[in-house]
Parts: sequence; C-alpha cells; structure tokens
Amino acid sequence: MKDFGNQASVRFENVEKSFGDVKVLRDFDLEVLPGEFVVLLGASGSGKTTALRILSGLETPSGGEVYIDDENVTDVLPKYRDISMVFQSYALYPHKTVAENISFPLKVRGMDKADMDAATLDAAKQVQIEDLLGRYPRELSGGQRQRVALARAIIRRPSVFLMDEPLSNLDAKLRGHMRAQLKHMQKSMGITTIYVTHDQIEAMTLAHRVAILEKGVLQQLATPAEIYNDPANLFVAQFIGSPPMNVIHGRLAGSQFTTNGVVVETNVSGQAEKAVMGIRPEDCSIAAPTDGTLVGTIFTNELIGDHALVTVDWGDDQIAIKAPKDFSGDQGDEIGVVIPRDHLFVFDESNGQRIR
Amino acid sequence: MSDASSYRFRKSERTLMQRLFEAPAIGKMSPASKFVAYSLLAIWSLFVLFPIYWVIITSFKDAASVNEGPFYLPFVDFQPTLDAWRIQFTEDPFCNFAAIVRQFGLLGYNSFVWVVSPVVELAPMEPQICKIYLAFTNSIVISVFSTGLCVLVGAMAAYALARIQYAPRFGNILIFVLLLVGVIVATTYAGAPWWASASVALAFFFFLVRALKGYFKLSLKNGDILFWIISQRILPPIVVVIPIYVMFQAVGLLDTHLALILLYAVANMPIVVWLMYDFFTNLPVELEESAQLDGATRPRIFWEIVLPLTRPGLAATTLLILVLAWNEYLFAVFLATVKVQTMPIMVAAKNTGEKGIFWWEMCAVIVVMIIPVILMAILLTRFISKGVLLGAVKG
Repeated sequence: MKDFGNQASVRFENVEKSFGDVKVLRDFDLEVLPGEFVVLLGASGSGKTTALRILSGLETPSGGEVYIDDENVTDVLPKYRDISMVFQSYALYPHKTVAENISFPLKVRGMDKADMDAATLDAAKQVQIEDLLGRYPRELSGGQRQRVALARAIIRRPSVFLMDEPLSNLDAKLRGHMRAQLKHMQKSMGITTIYVTHDQIEAMTLAHRVAILEKGVLQQLATPAEIYNDPANLFVAQFIGSPPMNVIHGRLAGSQFTTNGVVVETNVSGQAEKAVMGIRPEDCSIAAPTDGTLVGTIFTNELIGDHALVTVDWGDDQIAIKAPKDFSGDQGDEIGVVIPRDHLFVFDESNGQRIR
Repeated sequence: MSDASSYRFRKSERTLMQRLFEAPAIGKMSPASKFVAYSLLAIWSLFVLFPIYWVIITSFKDAASVNEGPFYLPFVDFQPTLDAWRIQFTEDPFCNFAAIVRQFGLLGYNSFVWVVSPVVELAPMEPQICKIYLAFTNSIVISVFSTGLCVLVGAMAAYALARIQYAPRFGNILIFVLLLVGVIVATTYAGAPWWASASVALAFFFFLVRALKGYFKLSLKNGDILFWIISQRILPPIVVVIPIYVMFQAVGLLDTHLALILLYAVANMPIVVWLMYDFFTNLPVELEESAQLDGATRPRIFWEIVLPLTRPGLAATTLLILVLAWNEYLFAVFLATVKVQTMPIMVAAKNTGEKGIFWWEMCAVIVVMIIPVILMAILLTRFISKGVLLGAVKG
C-alpha cells in the first residue's frame, strides 16, 4: 500500500470549548505536520478527547478554527473531513459480522460488492484478522475487536487518523504488542495520526511529538526526548517519568537552592521565595551519610528487579532514588543522597514555570 | 472482647429464627421466604388462570347449565355442548366457504391499497358475511396496520428526541397558536377558504419568527416535549371521544378501517415514544458517531444501526401496542358502528339487554379473541432476547 491516502496537515487555531460554565479547552493551538504522529497526553478532564472530537466534527468548538490541509473545516460535517477514528470502546456494530463492520464505510459510499470484498480482505490482512471475517464482535477477544476497529478505520484510506485511547481496554501484555503494531502501521502508511491517551509510555513510545494538556491548556508540545529532558514547567516534569520526578521544596537565591538548611548549588539563577527543585529518581544516587548532598532516613526500600527503589524522608518531602539492586539499606537507616548539579530542574512554585 | 475471633459470625451458632429466615447460601431463599413466596404465587396463579378456565368451559355450556350453575367440571357437573360454537359458525347463514374466500381477496386488496395510497378508497367488504369472521378480520386489519404505523412513526419521534436537541421558543409557539386561532376565525366566521387563510397564516408565521428572532429567550427542551407527548395519554379517552367522532364525521370516515387505524396509531403513539426513547438513550452513542464519521446519514444510521440494536425493545413495544389496539373498546364503540365492528364490540354485543347476557356465546367469542394474543406473545418472545449489544462497546 504505497499510495495510502493523502497526508494531510492539521491545525487548531485558538480553539475554545465550554460545556455550560465549564471551559474544557482554552486558546488551544496545535499544528500537526503531514504524516506526523502526534499524541495528546493528559489526565482525564484535561480536554484531550474534546480536542479530538472537535477535529472529528462530532463536537463544534465554542470559538476558534480547525484546518485540515489548510482548509477551514470548523463547520464542515464529519463525513466531508476525510478522517477516520478508532474509539476507546471500538464502537463495532454488534449485529454485523467482522467483514460487514470493516466494509461499512465502503458500503455507505455505494461501492460494488466485488471491490468491497477485495478491499475488506486487504484491510483485514493488514491487521491479521482475515480468518475472522465471518464472526460477530461478541465472539472476538478484546485484541481482535481492536484490530477490527483498526481495519474499519484504514479501509477507506483517510487523510487523518484519530485514535481515542485505543489501547486502554486491553490487558498489559496485549497493549504492548498492539502499541508496536500501531507504530509500525503508522510508519509504513505515513498517515497523519492524532492519538489521545493518558498513558505516558504510549505517548513516549509512539509519538513524533507529544502535546501535554492540563485543564484545557496546552502545556508543552515537543518531541518525547525534549519533554523528558527539558520540561517546560512543573506539571510536565511531574507528569512524565515513572516513578515521577522528585520535588523538593525550598528557596532560590541566585544559584543557591536552600532546603531544610542545606544549600544546593544549581546551574540556574533567579530569585524565588518559594521554589521547587526537581530531580529524577534515576539521576540521584545513594551514598554514605558523610558523602551525600542531603542526608535523610530511609522510609522504605523496594526491590523492583533490575534496581531497588529507595524512598528517603527529607523534611516534608520524600525523595525516590533508583539504587543498585543489591542495596541493603533498611527502613530507618541514615543515608546520603547525591544530587548531581547537571540534572537538576528548578521551578517557581507560584506558577510552576521553569527557572533557567 | 480480647479474642479477635469473637467478632465472627458462626453458622453453627444460628438461632431457630435465623435458620428459618436466613438464606442458606448466596442466591438461595430462606425456608420461610420460600414458603411465603410460593404460597402467594400459587394463590395468584389461581386468580390468573381461573378466569381463562371459566371462559373456556362456559363456551361449552348451554343456557341451562349456565343459569342453574355454578358448575365447574365438564362431564361431572354439566354435559359439554358445542351449541355456542355452532351459533357462531355453522348456524350463521352467511358463514360459508365461498364468502370467506371472497372476503380474503378483498382484505388483500384493501391492505395493498392501504399501503400504496391511503387516499384511494378501500373496497367495501362483503356485506353479508358471518359476524364473527367480519369482526375477527376487522380486528386484525385495524390492530396490525395501526400498530405498524404507530411503532414506525413513534420510534422515529423517540429517536429524534433521544439524539437531537430541540429548543422551540415559547414566543414562537404562542405566535403559532394565535395564528391558528386566526385561521379558525377567518374560515368559520369570515368565510375565507381554509387553504388561503392557512397559507397567509403560515407566511405570517415565518415572517414573524424571523423578525422576532432573538427576542424570545425562554424555550422548551426535549424533556418538556417528551412530557407533553406522554401527557396526551394521561387525558381520559372518554373526554375526547365526542370531538373525535365529530371530526371523523366531518371528513366522512365514520365506520371505516382507516378511521380506527389512524386513531389507534395516534392514541398509542405516546406509549411508543416513551418506551422507545428509553431504549434509544441507552444505546452507546459511539456506534452512531462512528457511523457518522464513516459517512452514514441520519436515516441510514437509524435503519441500519439503531433499529436492529433495539430489536428486543421494538418487539416488546410492538407486542404491547398490538394488544392495546386488539383490546380497544371505547373508540371502536363510537366510530365503528356497523361495517368495521371489532372483536371487543362483538363480545359486548352478547349482552343483549332485554334477553340478558348470553354467557356461553360470549365466551366462545372471547376464546376466539384471545387465541391470536397468545400466539403473538409466543412469536414475539423469540425476538426478545438478551445480549444483543454484547460485543459492541464492552471490552
């Protein structure tokens, strides 16, 4: 399938959406390049699904414009937008067989039976369900239903693919498998894809670029690496990473961050009476109490497998550290925590913005 | 209570009352509730089944065994006879085979005409045909066609209310009502032709609605419309039967199938809308959204996705409406005076007044009347199956 559909660009311009008094999307701008895989990442209620539904035409924005291929589609009916969507619930028609489900978009277009059957088989082969065509959705497993939904979405070669948490109903093992499959499919077809999820691993692994939303506001739009290594604000920093980034409260004066009477030298400079220092668990290390940047007591020590996760009490905060798997410190022991200067982020606590 | 295990319930330490009133296992009934439940069910089933038994045996009695009764056991209490049945069928001079075949032909023709064009006049049925046959076919024609029309229109209305948000403004409704009054006044008192005044009023209506756009703020919501539709069923039918009689008289439809078909369809519509609204709102909306994205139009989504999925609900609703139409008496007694008498009228006619009630004949007619209802119920339960939505949206 070389000439698979048209690679369309997508653009949101100042899109707003409110339901009654609740603003779910504020001043949302996003530009998606042709063929790009963009993931909208956010917690529930962040507006990510609303953004997707506005693009699909199932929802109309309260303000702003939506463009597909530089054509204003804000008031265009869904069927004329040349998009297809995979729903979280798959939305398969339970009274139709797999083949009838997959071919429904073509049937609506009045295609003749022979061509339709050929296209159905072709789409089914893409997702390896060609031997399930005669079954009904209720006779399929979750993963198979997911594939049927995918086949129905690709059969009409849309310009844009929309996916609304397509993997969230699958069990963990199948999710990993389907994730790889999706990434492979998107890359080989090259269709512009917008994917909504609350799962940061899906976002990091699938996306060319990730857009992080919170309370209807776009927080950062960047490649997964940039999001991870250079978060724009405290929300993004804490949202991405597992276990999440440690936050230590304190005060910033010049380049000196003071927390619980201990001064930590940083690479930034600024003034903030209330500041937050962020450091990822994998960037910290443990040391003897005499050698640590900070010295605290161990709250608990969990062996994960390839490493041990050590949680250390520090004032009102807790610091998680990825330690070697043979670390044997126990609850209550004194321990030093080394915080390397180069991996430190500092944020202004009042607005969450990064201090650079 | 130092011993932690003293908080435990122990099955072996139950009192007699607990043994009687406590369920022995999850999903089981306690002995006491079992006894009460089955006793009540036994009594209730007597209440339900005895009248049917009584109707059937009475249809095999003669006048003497009815009047000298009460007798309940055939061959023991009384000698069964086919008299009541003979009066309905073989002794009716018009109950002959050729006439019934002709009648079937006319029925087919009329059904065809009715479907193709409601305007074409229906062929008059055989005037001299046995009464029970006439009433039976009248009942079938009227209940089947009225139910079909009612469920079709009602389901579409319910779907629209379930999925599309309407907001008719109070002001516009007021304008409409005032103009309607104007039309009535103009036609009745000023002698204007109705079509002329209606066109003028319609033009005025659109003009005023456009001109006053945004002036009225208050509007109705779907819930109000739904309640308004249901409220029409709250009105006692006896209140409206005279105006309805006059209306059908004015258009010359008294004593026709069409009159009863239309009337039953309208009268039962609120029930269809009410029931189907519930089924439609409970359908997962993603299915329709997905079809919408795939390019299907609203009507297509309704016919191809929504209706097949609500088939159990549709079947239950159809059964209910069919039975309501089959049993309807009040409207029929006013509107169907001679030619289109239905089964309930026929049953009531066995109360002759001066000669008293012919219970045995009445019961024979009743048996004929309840057989189709039982058959319908058996037929339709096949459609009312669970799990139609399985595999749609659940993982």
